[in-house]
Formats: sequence, structure tokens, C-alpha cells
Amino acid sequence: MQGVYRGMLEFLIGNTIVCNAVEAMLFASVACAVLGVIITQVQISSIGFTMAHAAFAGAAVGMFLSVNATVTAIIAGVLVAFLIGPLSEKARVSPDTALGLLFGVSMAVAIFFIAYMQTLGRGFSAMGLLFGDVISLYREEITLLALISVVAVVFVVVLYKEITGIIFNRRIAESVGIRVKPVYYAMLFVIALTVALCLPIIGGLLIYVWLVTPAAIALQFCYRLSSMFIMAPVVAAIISISGALAGLEYSLPVAPLTAVLFSVVFIAAVFLSPKRRVTSRKS
Amino acid sequence: MTSTVPVIRLENVTTAYEGADRPTLTGISLTIGKGEFVVVGGPNGAGKTTLLETINGMLPITQGNAVVCGQDVRGDGIHVRCRVGYLLQNFSFNPLTPFTVGEVVLMGRFGMIGLFRKPGIEDHDAVRRALSLLGIEDLATRPIGQLSGGQQQKVLLAQNLARDPDILLLDEPFSNLDMFARESINALLSSLVASGVTVVIVSHAFDDLPDHPVRVVVMHDGRISLDRECYPAEVGRVIRNAGSVPRDA
Repeated sequence: MQGVYRGMLEFLIGNTIVCNAVEAMLFASVACAVLGVIITQVQISSIGFTMAHAAFAGAAVGMFLSVNATVTAIIAGVLVAFLIGPLSEKARVSPDTALGLLFGVSMAVAIFFIAYMQTLGRGFSAMGLLFGDVISLYREEITLLALISVVAVVFVVVLYKEITGIIFNRRIAESVGIRVKPVYYAMLFVIALTVALCLPIIGGLLIYVWLVTPAAIALQFCYRLSSMFIMAPVVAAIISISGALAGLEYSLPVAPLTAVLFSVVFIAAVFLSPKRRVTSRKS
Repeated sequence: MTSTVPVIRLENVTTAYEGADRPTLTGISLTIGKGEFVVVGGPNGAGKTTLLETINGMLPITQGNAVVCGQDVRGDGIHVRCRVGYLLQNFSFNPLTPFTVGEVVLMGRFGMIGLFRKPGIEDHDAVRRALSLLGIEDLATRPIGQLSGGQQQKVLLAQNLARDPDILLLDEPFSNLDMFARESINALLSSLVASGVTVVIVSHAFDDLPDHPVRVVVMHDGRISLDRECYPAEVGRVIRNAGSVPRDA
């Protein structure tokens, strides 16, 4: 299978490793950036953050048990997303506190299993979960990433008006007759799926940069949500591909380097933002 | 004033917020006819907003029956909300909100358009009509976050008018509005009532009511303490006499 299947960008990039890395970063960045617009605009960043770390913990457990880490990451991410509501209700704590609890447990589980795997001599693969690894990807994993980026885009296109309503205001969306709950939970499910599939490339500690920063950059320039949904993945793809190429060329860790690039572009965007200029003039 | 065709019928309705120890509304029975103008008054926490959200099915009814526009609210809240406009109180949007006025008003029709369908020509026509009714057509392409509080309030009202509602539930619609805007909204509400739209309004601004007799419903501690018709000039006094609004309110 691996010998037969050719990368989508192999006509541009001759080196298979580089081609795989670029494709993986491209698909992961598009999926994360599209969903990142939802995460930042619905203001569920803390839910996304907790889900990302739960998926990270799930992957660590899966790796420890030698079962498919992607599957356990998806299960853990989805589980956390659906636990937040009932936990805050039953324990009579605010959703924010429930998220804090789940985040703490997730990190504890992840760190425990990663540390334990290191004592067992399986530290290398465990470290990949922390910081990502674009070198040793299978074609099947890249195909899955391509699929999830398509799923993310199709999800937004098909449910665009419901998503925009929820982003604008959940209570107003409910009052105009939008089926808020099912769409909201579908959002969480797709986010959990995306996070779990992107973990091996980007890593549990850095994935949040891909989820939040592209949307934050786009928000500096876009007055319309539709523009954000276009600009965020385009910016994310450009930065991610640049990061992958530079990282592989100069033998630097790809995901951390790209995360730094994201931050630099965000800072530049803040200074270049026309919105910022308008706000400054007003004040 | 009272129409013979009821569009809102609550029978012994009790409503409780999720996780609350006690119900917010208790044993509410209320029938409102087509084309009625109803003012809901009462002190803070009396259950006025809860009453509006019970009527449009946003809150779970734990006891009793509620039929709005011929549909059982308990079973079909979504469909009820497609025919009922509800202006929520105290909304303001920050300057970075990535929506134009036209997009916000179009959202008012999303529920009735339904899942997996795109807005069509008639939806965009309805948006234009709603903007025109409120005299804010020129704001259509402006980001909502860059408007004043009063303009934002008008946009949200237009959002509700865009779905040609049978009932309009308005929670403090005159807040943020200047004197001229209040007068024009008043005239608009009067014409809507004349065309058969039922208007239920929670307000403390009794000077801004239409110039014809209105029905006053006074809430107190989750129950209806008074339900009668009176002239707009009397509304404030009637509510105070019901013993539910402190003198300094």
C-alpha cells in the first residue's frame, strides 16, 4: 500500500519524507484553523483546551496499552466534551471549574503514563506525543488527516448558518429556532476528532497553538465571519508549510518551530490590524 | 382590545431553571389573544423574563400546559420559536464581533429555513423589509459591533421582525433608545398590533407605551398578581397599586 500510494504533493516535492511532512502539516493546519474559528468565536477556548489535553491523555494511555493511540485519543476527547455539562451540574460547580478539574486529571494521566513509559524504555514514542513528529508518519495517517480536514470544511459549509447563529450568541440562536444543542455537540465531536488525529504531528502541548492562533490572526483583519473561515486556514497552511520546510531543511523540530512562527505572525497581525488602528483613534 | 382568537394559552404552568431548588414561575394561567398588546410589569426577580421564555419554549415547563400559535410548547419549542419573535434584554456587542447588520437580521430566519438549507431570495427580501421598517437600511453592511447601543437594539428588533412573527415578546425594548427612536418603535408596535401581531412587552418605561388601552399583567414572586386592561397613562399607577413595584422604582 505504502509503495503504491503517492503523495498529493509529490509532483512538487520529490523527497517523500518532506512531502509527507508538508502534506500532514497542510491538512492538520486547515482542519485546526477552520475549527479554531468556531472555538475562538463561540468562546469555548477552555473546552477546546481541555479536550486537547484529554485527547493527549487518551493517546498516552493507548500507547501504554499498545492499542491504537488515535482511537483512545478520540474517545478521551469526546468523553471530556460530554462530561463537562453533567459534571458541573452534579457537582454544583461552574463549567469553568469542571473544565479545570478535567484538565488537571487529563494532564496528570498523560504525564503519569509518559513518565512510566520512559522508565520502561519507551520514551521516544511518548515524547512524540508531547511535541509532535512529522517525520515518521504513515501514508494512512496522512490520508486520515486529509479526510478530517475535508470533514471539518464540509461540517462548516453544511451547518454554516447554524454555526454562525451559535457564534453570534447562543441564546439568540435558540430564540430564533436554531437547534443549538445538537449542533453544539456535533461541533465538540468534530473538534475532538480533529484534535485526536492531529496529535501525532503537532503534539499535545502545541496543538492549541494551531487551534487558536490562526483564528486570532484572521480576527485582526476580518469584519465578517465568512472571511475568517477563509483567511484562518489559508494563513495556517502557509505558516505550517513554511515551518515544515524550514524545520526539515535546518534539522529543527518542526512543530515547535511552526508554533513560534504562528506567534510571531500573530504579534505582527496585531500591530498591522486596521481594527486596532480604528480602536486607537476612537480612544 | 381582547381578541377572541387565543395565540398564547398557559394553564397552571410551573417553570424551573435547570438545577434550581424552587420553581421560578408557579401555577401561571394566562390567555392572550391575537393582536393584543400586553405589558408585563413587576419588581426585579418577579419572573417577567421567565414568563417570556416560557411562552417561547426556551425554559422547561415542569407542570401544566402551554399552547402557543396552536402548538404545544413542551413538545415543539423549536417550531414555536420560528413564529415568535423574542427580543432579549441588555445585549451589546463588542467592536470585534465579525457580523454585519444584514447578517444579524438574516439570522432571525435561520430557524424557519431549517437545517441544511440555505437562505433564499424571500429570506433576503424579508431582511430588507425588516431593516426598512426600523429605518436602518443604510446600516446593512456595517459591522454590528461598531454601532451605538440604540442602533444595536434596533438591529435585534429587526432580526425578530424578519421572520414575520405572529407574536413579539420584547424584554425592555426601549432601553438604549433615545426619545425619537422610542417614538418610532412605539408607532411601529402599534401598526404591528393593528395588523394582528400580538405584542407582549416587559418594560419599566411606561411613558413609551402606544396611545391606546393596553392589558397589564403584573408579576410578583413567580405568580400573576394582577391582570387587567387600562390606559397607558395609568399603567405605572396600576402596577404600583398592585403592590409589586417599590415607590422608588
